[in-house]
Amino acid sequence: MPEAIIKATNLRKTYGGVEALRGLSLEVHAGSLCGFLGRNGAGKTTTLKILLGMMRPTSGEARVFGRHVSDPVASVEIRRDAAFVGEDKPLFEDMTVRDVIRFTAAFYPRWRQDLEQHYVATFALSPAMKVKTLSRGMRTGLALLLALCRNARLLILDEPTSGLDPAMSEQVLQALVRHVASAGTTVFFSSHQIAEVEQVADRVVIIDRGRTTITAALDDLRAQYRRIHFVFDDDAPAPVFRAKGVERMYRDGRVLTVLASAGAEGIVEEGRTLRPVSVDVVPVSLKEIFLESSGVEG
Amino acid sequence: MLWYKAWLETRWRFLIGLAVLMVFACGAVLDYPAIARLNASVSAIDAPGNLGRLIREAAAAQRTYRGFIWFQWYRQNLVQTWTILAVLLGSGGLMGASPGSALFALSMPVSRTRLAGVRAATALMELLALAVIPSLMIPLLSPAVGEHYGLGETAVHSMSLFLGGSLFFSLAFLLSAVFDDFWRPMLITCAIALSQTVVGALAGLPFSEMLRVMSAESYFRAGQIPWVGLGLAVTTGLLMLSAGVAIVERRDF
Repeated sequence: MPEAIIKATNLRKTYGGVEALRGLSLEVHAGSLCGFLGRNGAGKTTTLKILLGMMRPTSGEARVFGRHVSDPVASVEIRRDAAFVGEDKPLFEDMTVRDVIRFTAAFYPRWRQDLEQHYVATFALSPAMKVKTLSRGMRTGLALLLALCRNARLLILDEPTSGLDPAMSEQVLQALVRHVASAGTTVFFSSHQIAEVEQVADRVVIIDRGRTTITAALDDLRAQYRRIHFVFDDDAPAPVFRAKGVERMYRDGRVLTVLASAGAEGIVEEGRTLRPVSVDVVPVSLKEIFLESSGVEG
Repeated sequence: MLWYKAWLETRWRFLIGLAVLMVFACGAVLDYPAIARLNASVSAIDAPGNLGRLIREAAAAQRTYRGFIWFQWYRQNLVQTWTILAVLLGSGGLMGASPGSALFALSMPVSRTRLAGVRAATALMELLALAVIPSLMIPLLSPAVGEHYGLGETAVHSMSLFLGGSLFFSLAFLLSAVFDDFWRPMLITCAIALSQTVVGALAGLPFSEMLRVMSAESYFRAGQIPWVGLGLAVTTGLLMLSAGVAIVERRDF
């Protein structure tokens, strides 16, 4: 297993009596492109801000590159090796594109001028334009340029494609994937777009109401999650399965549905002892897994 | 580059303030012949109460060109306008022009102390320039109205204004570390500053002592620089700045 670039343990964050994080734990390993999924208000942005030292956890611990995020000195070192793109693409509004690039490059000795020129052309950025006059797409392109050119070991992106049209979203995602492939950067990105997480991520962390519900490789999720339908002659029974991997169970008339996170064969075998008239095992999409883990009934 | 960013965030407040003060300074000098003529009749006004006392004091102070400049420029126009500019430049804090600007700055490999320190230092340098540059117009323009005003006098009054008045900048900076917006620190500090420099002086309240320190009244009247008042203002200002930085270090963004 590669080293954990990000490791959060039992993070809690309370704002004015509201618990944004309620014991969140997660790990992101070196070289992975990890999607961070959760409903609005699940605690994604709070988690990312804690990792970058913009917020302090109420309790619990988070480390990035093995450094404690709550230590102000370590936090500066973390940001030296990590890049952040916020949801609203925060930048200095009064600067021109050229100035904001110069400003950012001044903090990073390993600044990639070759990439800078490449992304200026790719995102059609005009150096003399004021940041506040950029379109949403250009702004995202500039924010991504500033993140990628610093040659950081870790990219933390909060909804990188939010508000973009499908073509621009694709352009941003392709830029990310190419960068990860060539530079080996670790990427931890939050998103509401499950399809885009499926498209680019190799791992996924799903959180709900401040707690981690799933941390897994995307391929493992696809391979292991199954929905099993047992159809009976009469009303479906309410069994207690001994087999491991039963996440949820629903009864609807004659049909008993089991959502399995692993060991579907064992569950099917055990279910057959209940004498169903038919058994149907179907794969589960990431969207369904997300909805199930977020407590949203389909 | 942090200095450049801080300059970009404050430059319009600074440049507009500088332009306004330059116009005021020129106006103060060029108005002197007319005001001097009016002043001769003002001393005969026999108004009762505090207002009458203030008018008589003003007339007495302005019998000479030096007194006129001190009263009109260092005790009124400059001190009031500069104080408002000090509050404007102190307000906003790390949030700068927008919350997004703060988030972007905080994502850089720079400590919050350095970010806040550069922001404060930039504004203080601008305030020093606002205290000195327009005041230099006084000795430069005085020959145009057949008068002379010393550079030494200019230096003492400008430095007293800067050192004493930086207290209001520090208060706005401290309040900006507490509040998220630009307006609350600005309005609270403005209310306190104006009560000290304008209302306090008009009403003859004892807490208008700040105005005496900022205008270096003791230097004008007796040639004594108000070291104690300046020392207290600078020490209190530094404590407020330190408290502001400490709050910025601990708060969530």
